Amino acid sequence: MAGFYSAQTLVAASNKPDYPTIQDFLPPEILFQGTPFAINRIILVRIIATVVLLLVLGITASRAKLVPGRWQSAVEWVLDFVKNSIVYEVMGELRGKRYVPMITTVFMTIAVFNLCGEISGLNIAATATITMPLVFAIWTFGQYWGAAIREKGLGTYLKEELIPEGVPAPVLILVAPMNLLEILIIRPLSLTIRLFANMMAGHIVLALCLATTQFFLFEVANKAMVPLGGLMFVAGFAMTLFEMFIACLQAFIFAILSTVYINLSYPEND
Amino acid sequence: MTIAAASGISLFIPQTYDIVWSLIILVIIAVFFYKFFLPKFQAIFDERAAKIEGGMAKAEKAQQEAETAKKKYEDQLSEARVAASKIRDDARAEASHIISDARSRAETDATQITANAQRSIESQQQQALVSLRGEVGALATALAGKILGSKLESSDVQKSMIDTMIEQLNDGKKER
Repeated sequence: MAGFYSAQTLVAASNKPDYPTIQDFLPPEILFQGTPFAINRIILVRIIATVVLLLVLGITASRAKLVPGRWQSAVEWVLDFVKNSIVYEVMGELRGKRYVPMITTVFMTIAVFNLCGEISGLNIAATATITMPLVFAIWTFGQYWGAAIREKGLGTYLKEELIPEGVPAPVLILVAPMNLLEILIIRPLSLTIRLFANMMAGHIVLALCLATTQFFLFEVANKAMVPLGGLMFVAGFAMTLFEMFIACLQAFIFAILSTVYINLSYPEND
Repeated sequence: MTIAAASGISLFIPQTYDIVWSLIILVIIAVFFYKFFLPKFQAIFDERAAKIEGGMAKAEKAQQEAETAKKKYEDQLSEARVAASKIRDDARAEASHIISDARSRAETDATQITANAQRSIESQQQQALVSLRGEVGALATALAGKILGSKLESSDVQKSMIDTMIEQLNDGKKER
């Protein structure tokens, strides 16, 4: 935290805490400004996280042995968790097999990107712009439409989704557009906004706690406020742990909802 | 808190460069996972499963072999026990045979020795009797001749007379 905030703290007048703003999520472009390859702070975090993820997992995989060490066991546990507790739990092994790589990629990438928000020096989740969650959501969108067209055919899928059996005709006027909206927009958008909003809120709460800690402990002349600063530090500490949990939880939710959406495209009885 | 309502909406509008970088990164990560990371681990998992199954089969085979060997040894052991008891029985039978043989031989020998002794005693007695008879006869004849003062001419008379006398002697012996 310190690196990022102290720079701003020095500039800011010390009559109020350096509260986080939405500008944290719209940082200025720092490289290749104005081009489609412009890089801002969050994208830099994303690139660093990607490089670290690829390096760590790449080295793990290339050194993988038949008898695993501790680290390899941990990685294998995660792979096993995604495969068994997310994909096979929802879809069963027969259908799930082809989606294991996708859900594993989604889960591990989102988890690592989310955790960047709790790493000192990065201090913001790599998923904390709308675009990254949206790209993942569009991937899920493509997969469940693809599965529907492959398994049922587009006509049957739309018919089943828009005109569910047993719904009386007048109600269909409501149900059909709602379901169309659901499969076209609400599913991907809910995935996107849930993840993005969680990361944004997490960052704001965490930054708020630490900014007030800094303010009350070091910048306020009135030393009576020091206990409040201490309290805010404890709160910041607790929120850091909580945000780590949220980072993993959101990755899990994204992964399991993607699996559920894909599974919904399959026929009821197979 | 200066989350301005006017700029808030811009949070939800994807920037072009953000889309570009998100896609580049996602594609790189996806390729890495699909082409390298997951196949590699799948291979490890498969190999491990094969190893474990192979190990289990091997263990089962080893156990079967051990059981076969155990059965074989037990069979051999019981065979050996039977053979040992047979040998012991044979030895016992032979020993009793030898003893009874020895006993019967000893008995036969004893009988024979007794018989021989008896025979030799009898023959010696006979001899003694014969020689005694001759000597006693001659002695008696000579004595009688001397007493009678006459010579007994006929040896037949002589002989019968002696015999009669001895029988009388014998009879006298018996009567006592």
